[in-house]
Amino acid sequence: MIPLGAYIFVSAVLFFIGCAGVLVRRNAVVILMCVELMLNAANLAFVAFSRRYGAIDERGSVFVVFVFVIAAAEVAVGLGIVLSAYRNRPVVDVDEIHAMKG
Amino acid sequence: MTFDFVEPIVFAMLSVGVIAAGAAVVLINRITAAALLMAFTFLCMAGMFVLLGAETIAAFQVLIYVGAITVLILYGVMFTKSGDRPYALFFQHQTPIAAIFVAAIAIPVLLLAFSFNAPAPPPRGGDLPGLATSVFTDFAFPFEIASVLLLAAMVGAIVLTKRDEAEGADTRRRERR
Repeated sequence: MIPLGAYIFVSAVLFFIGCAGVLVRRNAVVILMCVELMLNAANLAFVAFSRRYGAIDERGSVFVVFVFVIAAAEVAVGLGIVLSAYRNRPVVDVDEIHAMKG
Repeated sequence: MTFDFVEPIVFAMLSVGVIAAGAAVVLINRITAAALLMAFTFLCMAGMFVLLGAETIAAFQVLIYVGAITVLILYGVMFTKSGDRPYALFFQHQTPIAAIFVAAIAIPVLLLAFSFNAPAPPPRGGDLPGLATSVFTDFAFPFEIASVLLLAAMVGAIVLTKRDEAEGADTRRRERR
């Protein structure tokens, strides 16, 4: 049986890869992809703990279902914002989008 | 002869797939390739869910992430045709600072990750009965709230991307005059 720590390690590595991507990349669509990677890493940790701690009613997996819902809503609204900003000015670079900076 | 050696091999392949494809999403410059590699990461993650015995979550993962979200991201990539800027603005040399910041948090967390061990063997059978019981008893109200959230997000996405018809017609009329 794979130890629980191995799953948590993979989850943490993927989370920090996504975190570095959000900080380093400047394309708004790529930043959305990296946020999805981070959400998915959290899902892996949820499922691993839920299965291995012998929870009878799978509480962790229920939270994973909610994370799926949030991720779908987030990517739909995020892409809507990116597309409407792109229509205003054709850039997807988050450093160039400063119309609302005040 | 037992087949206990298969599970570590599958786990190693899946974890290499998850980490390598995830790193490639961040490092690669072609955005379409990054989106497809993201789909590959999600697929490997679904394999890990199966390995953990959570088949229902793996099916949801393939349906929602590999299906819906990847297609949505691909459409976003196609509608906004632009590469990453190869240079940084002169006051935004933030990559080294970001790397130091992430490493400073990541290294202790990664060292801590191996300290977890399983106190109980995984329950027998799949995760569907437990999941369904939880969703329809304790978490019924949050589940309904989630459906309302999805509806709100759908309406919000439509409103955000809809062209302003009245304004467009007004402009056209002015141009005709």
